[in-house]
Amino acid sequence: MGIAKYLPYAAAALLGVQAVAYIAHPTDGLIRPPGAQGEKDFSSRCVKCGRCIEACPYAALVPASADAGSAVGSPTLDLRNQACRLCHDFPCAAACPTDALRDVAAVEDVDMGHAVIDEDLCIALQGMRCEVCYRACPLIDRAITIDYRLREGDSIHSVFAPVIDEQACVGCGLCVERCVIGQPEVAIKVVRGDST
Amino acid sequence: MEISRREFVKATAVALATAAAGGSLSMLVACSGQSESAVSGGDTQKYSAVCRFCGCGCGVICEVKDGRLVSVTGDPDNQSNKGLNCVKGYYLAKVLYGEDRLTTPLIRDDSSTKGTEGGLREASWDEALDLVASKLKETWKADKSRLAFWGSGQQPITEGYITAKLWKAGLLSNNIDPNARLCMASAVVGFMNVFQTDEPAGCYTDLDYADVFVTWGANMAEAHPVLYSRLTARKLNDPNVKHYDLGTLRTRTSASADKTLVFHPGTDLAIANCIANYLVENELYDADFVEDHLQFKAGTENIGNAYDDGYDASDVGQSVDKVWNIEFAEYAEMLKPYTFEYTSELSGVAVEDLKELADVFADPDKKVMSLWTMGVNQHNRGTWMNHNIYNIHLLSGKIAQPGSGPFSLTGQPTACGTAREVGTFSHRLPADLLVANPQHRRYSEAIWNLPEGYLDEIQKPGFHTVKIFREMSKGNMDFLWSAHNNWAQSMPNLTRFLGRGDQKGVFDTFVVVNEVYPTLSTQYADVVLPAALWVEREGQFGNAERRTAVFEKAVDPPGDAKWDLWIILQVASRVLEGEQIDGRDAFDTLFGFIWDKSAGDFKGDSRQTNIDIWEEYRTFSNPDLNEKAKAINDNASGEFEGKLKMEAKQLAPYEEYLANHGLTWPVREVDGTWLPTMWRFANGSQEEGFDEVGIAQYGEEGLAGGISFYKTAKGKPSVVFRPYEPPAEEPDDEYPFWFCTGRLLEHWHTGTMTRRIPELDRALPEAQLNVHPDDCTKLGVTDGDLVRVKSRHGEFEIHVSTAGRTEPAPGVVFAPFFAQETLVNLAVHDYYCPLSKEPDYKKTCVSIEKV
Repeated sequence: MGIAKYLPYAAAALLGVQAVAYIAHPTDGLIRPPGAQGEKDFSSRCVKCGRCIEACPYAALVPASADAGSAVGSPTLDLRNQACRLCHDFPCAAACPTDALRDVAAVEDVDMGHAVIDEDLCIALQGMRCEVCYRACPLIDRAITIDYRLREGDSIHSVFAPVIDEQACVGCGLCVERCVIGQPEVAIKVVRGDST
Repeated sequence: MEISRREFVKATAVALATAAAGGSLSMLVACSGQSESAVSGGDTQKYSAVCRFCGCGCGVICEVKDGRLVSVTGDPDNQSNKGLNCVKGYYLAKVLYGEDRLTTPLIRDDSSTKGTEGGLREASWDEALDLVASKLKETWKADKSRLAFWGSGQQPITEGYITAKLWKAGLLSNNIDPNARLCMASAVVGFMNVFQTDEPAGCYTDLDYADVFVTWGANMAEAHPVLYSRLTARKLNDPNVKHYDLGTLRTRTSASADKTLVFHPGTDLAIANCIANYLVENELYDADFVEDHLQFKAGTENIGNAYDDGYDASDVGQSVDKVWNIEFAEYAEMLKPYTFEYTSELSGVAVEDLKELADVFADPDKKVMSLWTMGVNQHNRGTWMNHNIYNIHLLSGKIAQPGSGPFSLTGQPTACGTAREVGTFSHRLPADLLVANPQHRRYSEAIWNLPEGYLDEIQKPGFHTVKIFREMSKGNMDFLWSAHNNWAQSMPNLTRFLGRGDQKGVFDTFVVVNEVYPTLSTQYADVVLPAALWVEREGQFGNAERRTAVFEKAVDPPGDAKWDLWIILQVASRVLEGEQIDGRDAFDTLFGFIWDKSAGDFKGDSRQTNIDIWEEYRTFSNPDLNEKAKAINDNASGEFEGKLKMEAKQLAPYEEYLANHGLTWPVREVDGTWLPTMWRFANGSQEEGFDEVGIAQYGEEGLAGGISFYKTAKGKPSVVFRPYEPPAEEPDDEYPFWFCTGRLLEHWHTGTMTRRIPELDRALPEAQLNVHPDDCTKLGVTDGDLVRVKSRHGEFEIHVSTAGRTEPAPGVVFAPFFAQETLVNLAVHDYYCPLSKEPDYKKTCVSIEKV
C-alpha cells in the first residue's frame, strides 16, 4: 500500500493546521519584500507609506488585505500571481524611508523565506519529468537542486526530484508562480523563516 | 489491499491527470487503492495513443468520458516509455480544448491584410475546397515549378503517404518537402551516405546498457525528457557509467553530466576527427571490424555556403555529394593534422579532456552510446558532422550492439515514421527509395499500379524547403499548402520570407494552411482549413528507435474541423477531375481503394481507411505482396545493379501495432508471430530483438562483431573523411556574438499547442535571451533588461536572463523559438548544409544593444 492512501487525509490535515495557524497569527502568511529583517523588525518600522509598492517594476508588491488584521495595507506579495524578480538594484528597499527594508546589496542578502514542496502534490516526485520549479529558479542548482532517484518499480527510469536548500533559497517565489499544479493547491509554497 | 506496482502507478497517474484536467480533491480520494474503472466511474472509454509532441514517442492512454478527453496518462505497455511522461504529456488532454480552436474554413479576400490578425472570413467547406482546388489546378496546369506542399514530421504516417502519393504520382511534382528538412535532413543524408539505409541500427534499450554516454549538441534533459530519465537511471544503476556532454553552451543536460566539453561553434568536426586520428595513429581502432566491414572515402572539400540563391546550381553546389574511394592509409594521412594540440587550440577544449574522450573510444571493453540532435544536424556542415560521429563508432566497432552505437535522436514524433520512412522529401519515394533511381521508380510504379516509366517525369528532385521559401520571396511561387507545421514562425530568415520589407512574395502567393489554432502562418494564409487534432482521428507515428505506433481515434473533432486526409482527398478529387492515367480515371487509380468519389467520402470508417492505406504502404517493405514489385526487388530481369532488399524495412500488418502498442522495424514473421528488431544488422535470436531473419536472408555470418551490414552497398559502410570547415558566419566587430536557438522542455516547437495549455503557459511564459554574465557587463545590461538582437538578416527584441537555466559561453547567446511575440527567426540566417539543405539555426552572428 502506498502513500496515495494517506494523501487526501494528509492534504486535508494540512489545510486544517493552516487554518488554525492563520487565525492565531494573521501576519504569518505574509511574505515581505526583500530587505525585511524579520516580521517583528519589519512591522515595527513599516509605516505603510506604499513607496515600495510604487517602486516595484513588476507590480509584485501589494498592500495586505483586511484579513491581515492590524497589518492591513502593509506591503506583501501574492507569489502565485507575481513573484519577486529580485531586481539587481532592489528599488523597493531603496524607496523605503524607514529602513523597514534595508541591507540588501545582493540576491544572497534577501531572506523572504524559503520554498517548501508539497510532496503529495508534486508531480515530479510522482515520476513525471516536470521540475518546472527547478528550471525557473533564479538560483538554479543552488536553492533548488535535482536529486536523481530510481523510479520505484521501474529500473530504467529515474525520478528528477526537486530539493530545496533552505539556506540558499531566498523565498522569491518564482517557483510558486510557475508551478503547474494549482489544485487543490499549489504544490510548492514559500514559508517565512520566523513563522511559527 | 494488495495491488501490483503497475496498477498503483497507473491508478495514481490517472487520478493525478484527472485532477490536472480539471479535477478536484475528491478525485484524488478515489485513487487511493481503487481500480482504474472505479477511478473513472466506469462509464469511460480508453484508447491507446502516442504523445503528440517530441521524438521520444511516449505511449499514452487516453480516457474519454461523454465524448470528451478527460485524462491522458503514460502507457505502461509501450516499450519506449513504460508509462512515464514529461509535463507536456501530463497535460496532453488539454491540448484539444484551447478556447480558439479553428472549427470553420476561413477565406481571405484581400491579400493586403496578410500579416495581421484580421482579414479572414468564415466560409463553407465547398467554397473553401473549390477555391483551393481551382488555384492548385490552375498553377499545376500553368507551371508545376510554382506550387509546393510543405509537410511535417508531425504528419501521421498514412496521411503523409497519401500526400506524397498525390504529389508524386498524382501531380507528378517533387515540390513536396517536410519541416523535417529543418530538423533531421542532415541525419538522413548521413545515414544514406554511410549505410544506404536511413535510421539507426540501435534502439532506446541501448540506454540501459551503455557504459559511456556522449551527447553531441543535444540538450536531452529538456528536448528528450523521458529518454533522459532513462539515461540518468542507467547512471544510478551503475556508478561507473560516465556521461560526456559536448556543446557550445552549458544546458540542463550538462548539469548532470560527468564532464562538459564546451567547444567553439563548428569545431565539433575537428573534435571527432581528433578522436579518429588518435585511434588510427595509435592503432587503437578495431582492426577486425575495419577489415570485415568498412570502406574508406574522401569527398569534395571547400564547399562554401549557400549565401546566394544560386548556390545549389553553382559548380561547387553541384559537386558537394561527390565521393571517391581511398585507402585506409590515405584516410590516416588526412586525419594527421587533427592532433590534440591543434584541436584544442581550434575548439577551446583542453587537451586532457580531448584525450580522456578519445580514450573512451579506444577502450575495447567500453560500450559507448553517442546521442545527438539539432546541434549536429542544424549545422552548416551537418551531414559532415553526422559522418564524423559514425567514423569514430565504425573505427572502434562500437555499433549495432546492445549499449553501443551512434544514435541519432529525432526532433519530432514522426520525423522517422512519415518524413523519412514514407518519404515526404523532394528527392524521395516511400521506404528509402529515391526519385533519381530508375529501379526505385519502377518499384513504386508497380505498387501504385502505374504504367512503367510513368514516374520518369519526376526523376529530378524538387525544391527543398529553403528553396521553396526563397523562391516564394522572389515571386516565383503561386501556390503553397502547409499542414502540421507553422512555417511563418519556424522558418529561418523570416524578415525575408514574411516579406517584411517589400510586402511581396508571401503576399502574392496563394497560401493554404491546414491548422488547429490561429498561428502566425494562418495570418499569411489565403485559405485556412480547420483540421482534426491528434486523437480526433486515428493515425500513426514512427519514433527515433524505428518504433511505429498507432494512436486511436478517441473523440470527434470540434465543429466543422476535418481529418487532414479528408481535406487532401477532397482537393485531390477536384484537381484530378477529368485526368487519366493510362486510360483510367487518375483519381480512382490512385485513391479509389479508400475514397468513393460519387459519395464524396471515405469508403470505410477511420480505422478501415487507415488499415487499407497501411496495407498498400506496407507492400513497399513486403515485396512478396505484389508480384511485379517482387520481380523488381529481386532484379529478376537483371537490368538493374542488384537487389533492392526492401524487406530490410519490413513492416507488419496493422493489427499487430494495435495489439503490441508499437513495434520496431524490421518486423519479422516467425512461425506466425510478428517479432520486432531492436538491433539491426546484429546477428542473434529474433525473439531477443536481433536481426536474425534479415541476416539469414541477405547477410553474411561470421563477420567481426557478429554484424552484417546487409542493406549497405558491398556490405560495407563508408568512413568518409570530412574536414573542419568554418561556420557560415563568424563574429566580427559589427556582429560580435553567436546566436543559437533551440527548444525548452515546457513548450513544443512554436508553442501554438502548449501555450494554449494554461499550466504550461504559466510554467514558461516568456522567451528570454541567455547571456554570459561577462558579456552582460561588457554590454552594460543586466538580468531583465530589454535588448535588441540584430543580425545581417533581421532583428527582434527580447529580455535578458542570467538565471542560469542555459549558460552560454562568453560570446554565445541562446534563446528558444516558442514565442510568437519574440520572433527570433526574424534574425536567424537561412544558410544550410550544402549536402542536406538543412539550415544552421545555431550560429547566426548578431549584435546586442539595450533598448
